Amino acid sequence: MAKIEPIVGRYVWVPYEGTEYRMYFEEAGNPNGIPMICLHTAGTDGREWRHQLCDERIGKHFRVIAIDLPRHGKSIPPYDWYKENEEYKLTAKFYSGIVMAFSKALDLDKPVIMGSSMGGNICLHLAQDYENDVSALIAIEACEWSPGWHLDWLRHAHIHGGEVCATSVFGLMAPQSPDKYRWETWWYYSQGGPGIFKGDLYFYSFDHDFRGKTQSLSGKVPIYYMTGVYDFACTPEMTEEAAKNTKNSECIIMEEIGHFPMSENPDVFNRYLYPVLDKIVAAKQ
Amino acid sequence: MFDTSWMKRWQDAVNSNGPMSWIGKHLTADLMLGFGDKHFVVQFRNGKIDQFTDILGPETCYQLALRAPADSWQKFCAKVPPPMYNDIWAMAHPLHGKLQMDGDQKVLWQNMRAMFWAFDRMREI
Repeated sequence: MAKIEPIVGRYVWVPYEGTEYRMYFEEAGNPNGIPMICLHTAGTDGREWRHQLCDERIGKHFRVIAIDLPRHGKSIPPYDWYKENEEYKLTAKFYSGIVMAFSKALDLDKPVIMGSSMGGNICLHLAQDYENDVSALIAIEACEWSPGWHLDWLRHAHIHGGEVCATSVFGLMAPQSPDKYRWETWWYYSQGGPGIFKGDLYFYSFDHDFRGKTQSLSGKVPIYYMTGVYDFACTPEMTEEAAKNTKNSECIIMEEIGHFPMSENPDVFNRYLYPVLDKIVAAKQ
Repeated sequence: MFDTSWMKRWQDAVNSNGPMSWIGKHLTADLMLGFGDKHFVVQFRNGKIDQFTDILGPETCYQLALRAPADSWQKFCAKVPPPMYNDIWAMAHPLHGKLQMDGDQKVLWQNMRAMFWAFDRMREI
């Protein structure tokens, strides 16, 4: 009998601010467990979470749901994307809004949100604007401000977008991470739509700037920061600074791993993640 | 390290590398590499290092220069490089500034995959 994974993929039409977005998501785990929405990094899609979706220990208590944001993976752009007057730029307002609209569309009750990179940074906005709608935030590779990535080279007619998007992030992964998983992550990055990685990085490097604002988060929702030591875009020091300014937070620095923990080295990452999830389960009981 | 003998071994590692034969098919560029106070101009032709020289003068031409302290390059070349030194873009990123890039930066972004693959061969010599 061939190995069949427990992941099931579906599409849902998500209404948000006058537009319906056809969003793809994959899920696995306990259908009656704590809902946990997993957010991918910039320019790629929910495939990054395949190891956590298949993890029995995680799935015992959680309904794990990995989404593709609109324009990513199997989630198509809005129908009029080709006649937009400006190039795509992800904003904090749309990002946080569409995630919570997805949660509402699936009738999820105060999900845990776990995201990496831009998916980690959006956790700060969710804590600010949706603290009554989420139960915990796992902000992976997150910080208050992450400059230097919104570059035109990433959407340039003279440059191979797929290869340059993938190669520019390859060094964000730790050399200790298995080659097979590092190059799988490279592969995901090579498959983004034109201009999508760059557009996401508008949020990552410009629209996300929590400097001076993190202290004002109420602390109602716990935030678990997790950052790998090889992340040169969001260094451990940058995460520690954010955590220091965040009430009701915990900061976990992960050795021998980089910016894509869930996909570049799932075994190491999951060892750091399990205790966090145990705390979330305990808080629910 | 970073002398003519070392450069020759890097040239051999790049030119004998199997994947470089297709990854680097369109890499044709002249680079200046600065390892501390030691500088070489390296001519890539169709993914091969055609020649290099440390004889630099008023007629020396190159498109892009990558310069870093020798200590930074040594860390980059380690079998398991430490954080922030494991990648050219990591060292060059504005947050860190451990490597300076000057010249036609488009050459780097157009050839990033092949160039980085070639630089990674420095860990094999």
